[in-house]
Amino acid sequence: MTETIASDPTANFFDGLAKRGHEPLLQNTSGTLRVELRTGKQTEHWYVTIDKGDIAVSNANEEADAVVRCDKALFDEMATGRANMMTAILRGVFETEGDLGLVISFQRLFPSPPKSVYARKIR
Amino acid sequence: MSDGQLVQILEGNTFVVSDRNGDIDASPVDATGLFSFDTRFLSKWVLTLDGERLNALSTDDLQYFETRFFLVPGTGTVYIDANLSVIRQRVVADGFHEELTILNHDDKPVSLEVRLEAASDFADLFEVKDKLKKKGAYHHRIERGRLVLGYTRESFARETVISTALPAKIDEGGLTFKVKVPPHGLWKTMVDVRTEFAAWGGGPSQPAIGAGTKMARGLDKWLQRAPRLECDSDSLRATYHRSLVDLAALRFSTRTLPGRSLPAAGLPWFMTMFGRDSIFTSLQALPFTPELAQTTLLALGERQGTRVDDFRDEDPGRILHEMRYGEMTAFEERPHSPYYGCVDATPLYVVLLDEYERWTGDTKLVRGLEYEARAALNWIDEYANLQGNGYVAYKRRNEKTGLENQCWKDSWDSISYRDGSLPGFPRATCELQGYAYDAKVRGARLARLVWKDPEFADRLEKEAADLKRRFNRDFWVEDEGYFAIALDVDGRQVDALTSNNGHLLWSGIVDKSKAKSVAAHLVGKRLFSGWGVRTMAEGEGRYNPIGYHVGTVWPYDNSFIAWGLRRYGFKEEAARVAAGILDAAEFFDGRLPEAFGGYPREMTKYPVQYPTACSPQAWSTGAPLLLLRTMLGLEPYGEHLIVDPGLALGIGHLELLDIPGRWGHVDAFGRGRIDIKVDVKK
Repeated sequence: MTETIASDPTANFFDGLAKRGHEPLLQNTSGTLRVELRTGKQTEHWYVTIDKGDIAVSNANEEADAVVRCDKALFDEMATGRANMMTAILRGVFETEGDLGLVISFQRLFPSPPKSVYARKIR
Repeated sequence: MSDGQLVQILEGNTFVVSDRNGDIDASPVDATGLFSFDTRFLSKWVLTLDGERLNALSTDDLQYFETRFFLVPGTGTVYIDANLSVIRQRVVADGFHEELTILNHDDKPVSLEVRLEAASDFADLFEVKDKLKKKGAYHHRIERGRLVLGYTRESFARETVISTALPAKIDEGGLTFKVKVPPHGLWKTMVDVRTEFAAWGGGPSQPAIGAGTKMARGLDKWLQRAPRLECDSDSLRATYHRSLVDLAALRFSTRTLPGRSLPAAGLPWFMTMFGRDSIFTSLQALPFTPELAQTTLLALGERQGTRVDDFRDEDPGRILHEMRYGEMTAFEERPHSPYYGCVDATPLYVVLLDEYERWTGDTKLVRGLEYEARAALNWIDEYANLQGNGYVAYKRRNEKTGLENQCWKDSWDSISYRDGSLPGFPRATCELQGYAYDAKVRGARLARLVWKDPEFADRLEKEAADLKRRFNRDFWVEDEGYFAIALDVDGRQVDALTSNNGHLLWSGIVDKSKAKSVAAHLVGKRLFSGWGVRTMAEGEGRYNPIGYHVGTVWPYDNSFIAWGLRRYGFKEEAARVAAGILDAAEFFDGRLPEAFGGYPREMTKYPVQYPTACSPQAWSTGAPLLLLRTMLGLEPYGEHLIVDPGLALGIGHLELLDIPGRWGHVDAFGRGRIDIKVDVKK
């Protein structure tokens, strides 16, 4: 696990995933996703392995069923709900490869945008 | 197709709309062109011989994905004794593939300049619809034997690659061939147009060449697999065949579920996943092609809401309204990534899951989608109770680009009081309560049978019973004996008489004691036109026989009304509705439009089509299928299929053979015995 600092939303996001252990949202999902995040010339790798909803996170090189690639800055935005994965894909700033079903399941894990309010409360 | 235009389609969301010559010469606001993933990849594609455009002798739709154009030189009305003819044969597949043949009928050789003019504006479908301007930059490249047209905006990039088998002179505006055709000989070439973009798992995966025959085999298999219809009525047979072929054309594949397809909403504007349309069409087609329902459940489940997102009107558990892939969606100028502003799809998702299991016995899928179904049921109470009175209601949070009306009657004036005035928001329309009731009842069945959670089942059943009791009290318009179309935010009845009453019968929320009066209204003079049930009754303040949701007749609506009438035992009334709609289908060559005029049948003698750009439309295509089900009274009961026919006299003898389901394959027979007292047509 890389060193986590408070100002690293991506690392916080993956830490949160690791702590979650089981996620019922992904009960039908199994597979390993490699996340490649670029900062300048450097690339960091995260591996998220899902086994019927059980989540494990690591930085160790593993065989992946799907790969996603983007700038770390964009992933930081997604990790805090400020950016949307699907529109990033359509703009060509978030690349996908391999099992797209796994990618679509993974995007369920991103949080809500910070400004949204419950419909119930805006009556 | 209508308006002298042709539509071809393949792989769901790639389609070509051209004129009868096969030419595309689009203005920024019309829907001709080659479209893929909601982007126009060709806005110009014009064939000339020696600088002259051609004249169509005939145009044959060989398949929904393949057309042949027979052309001769010379335009205008005067017949020219042409010594040349031209055949363009076009197959749509990840772009399209065009075979160009020139025949020389003379005994002298002929030299020609053959030109294909090409251009693309890369318009987003939304831009075409709403007449908006582009924000990015165009480019082109001429490579060996290829012309590449491109568009970029920041990292958003789309390209059209045009290539040819024979050498051509290529410039940025198209391809030119210098051609010599021998006496009584021919010249032939292939031109390939491919749509390319890097997003979403890479661009097209398969070459267009050879796709035509593969598709034809696929269509044959699809038709062979569907139940066979034997009947006295040629018209009904033709309508059934048309429905199956159109449904095949409307199939849409998502890249996350390769090899499977679900129904898209309609051609050409709506070749994408729509929660409501995909679910309703899957319900209609269940007795015929249950695999559509399976894919619909999986695909909508994958993209079920998980966040609270005002821009997308998303909540956890909510089923999407519409998914789009174009530039405006990509840059979040539109919320369709996907957009969730739809209230009925979520309860209907549970309804479809249960109905699917009743037909197929596929408990594995029901187990697999337990989380999604529970989340949908939870959404009903947790997020849709916007009036705070326990009824499902809607009010958009995205006030800029979201949908104001999130029920199926989504036009601005569709929900009104008798005097024509409109209620404010949130609006709790009546059919939503019916769907919510049905979702709870069916959810309870699945909880007991598959999820093995009797406590949850008990709770759902208690909630359903409570909802039914309150609904029959609060929505019932006592003096007229029908259900109001909605409750406004003050709990007041929005009291116009509408076709929504039929959906209430379908959902089962109507008290038995009230059903007779509801059925009488549905086939009574104010609602029933002779062809079908109007969306709004004659005599209401906003009634207009050609108003979109305020007086027209919708075939889809009627198919569910017929189902509702059967559910409450009104066999004769259901037969009337079915017969009227199927009679109308004959006037549209078996392809029912989205809607037609609500004029009385005796007045117009034929159904007047409502002007709409969208045909075929999925749930209109599915309407004859559901009507066959209601006429034969097909109902799964345990491991068996019950057949209880109720057919109008004019239908004659009817057999539906090899109906697939948990029983294997069974046949159903019926004979028209019900005198429905409708004027004989014409």
